Amino acid sequence: MDCKTALALLEPYLDNELDRADARELEAHVDTCTDCAAALTRLGDLRQSLRDQTLRHAAPPELRERIRAAAAGANASGAAPPPRSASRRVMPQWTRLAAACVLAFGAGGVSVHLWNSGQVRANAQTQVVRDLFASHWRALAAATPVDVVSSDRHTVKPWFAGKVAESPLVRDFAEQGFALVGGRLDYVGDERVAVLVYRHGQHVIDVFVAPRAGSALMVETAEQRGYALTPVQLGNQSAVIVSDMDHEERSRFAQLVRSAQ
Amino acid sequence: MASAWVGELAQRHLDAAYNLGRWLLGNEQDAADAVHDAYVRAARSAHTYAGGDARAWWLAIVRNCCLARLSSRRRDAQVQSIDAPGVAAALPRSADNEVEDRAAAAQSGARIAAHLRALPVEFRETLVLREIEDLSYREIADVLQVPIGTVMSRLARGRALLQHALAAADTQEASHGL
Repeated sequence: MDCKTALALLEPYLDNELDRADARELEAHVDTCTDCAAALTRLGDLRQSLRDQTLRHAAPPELRERIRAAAAGANASGAAPPPRSASRRVMPQWTRLAAACVLAFGAGGVSVHLWNSGQVRANAQTQVVRDLFASHWRALAAATPVDVVSSDRHTVKPWFAGKVAESPLVRDFAEQGFALVGGRLDYVGDERVAVLVYRHGQHVIDVFVAPRAGSALMVETAEQRGYALTPVQLGNQSAVIVSDMDHEERSRFAQLVRSAQ
Repeated sequence: MASAWVGELAQRHLDAAYNLGRWLLGNEQDAADAVHDAYVRAARSAHTYAGGDARAWWLAIVRNCCLARLSSRRRDAQVQSIDAPGVAAALPRSADNEVEDRAAAAQSGARIAAHLRALPVEFRETLVLREIEDLSYREIADVLQVPIGTVMSRLARGRALLQHALAAADTQEASHGL
């Protein structure tokens, strides 16, 4: 694991949001890297001071009584069935989900949508851009950025069948320096999309493929923290390339994708 | 219309609700009123609860009530700005709170509390939910109604800002000591 990856994982690690495999890898790195170890210590110190008991304000008894009185008054008009016990936090530590799973799980969050119904979703486009970058970064942070590991397009394409509406066109560009590594599924907005993963030197390249025409997966070129989104046409589907390659490599790869048949 | 389970839910997570209110609104009275508003709203919209994390559902309502109060306070502050300019108008504080603050200043948490209070609201609320209420990323995302990636970036930014502020304060204290 390199320092860039390790630094991105320090906080999820401290927040108990990493799965065991990632946590082990990070621990191994921190054991050998004084810079990352120091950064982890600083974060730990900050956590310590934020957990000071005086920072938590307990509800005053008057408020407790006020709510009780309001509830007693309201209950005269009838009751609805109680929800399942809300306490999900009693989960043992080992069930912690990897950040990636949590995202996949939550992207369709039905309840969240219901509460949101009153609020206008600020900007769908921004949201898609955010999701694409987030998905790419999380994949980089995970032990492996792919669900199906294969450089053989005849393995990758069928793997997507049944998982997304239309399996994407899969081509290996190893001869041109962009080797197919595999594929994975991810969520952008509430759509499940196929992601083709390529490698070019040290760079990991994600190609998000729109599951259908008129999909929300339509973005303009965008850049964030040295990573770039490049919209491109892949066969008859629209797609978006996400990577940290420089401009020249990016356009060379985009050209290959566009010309794939 | 109202449901007994909402009352129970509110009681069970009353400290969490009130604490969030205190950090968003700054004083006891406003925080208590916002939590009361939230209870009334939650009881009325109990039928919209669609399963999932009930605590996050409740805290999301509390937060919305707090934000509503914040924005109306800002409007009031603008109206009064001719005769009462400045930050004081936006942050009304009761005498009780000042006494409490002074007492707290003697304690170890006071320094970090001051810096946390000074953070922009989006970083402050995210840190409060994570560090003080111990919510998971998923739960925070549900309360704030933003993607998990946003929760992660706000935590990172908030922590960096706090570390920076604390370090700057240390340097200042050291130079005054000379």
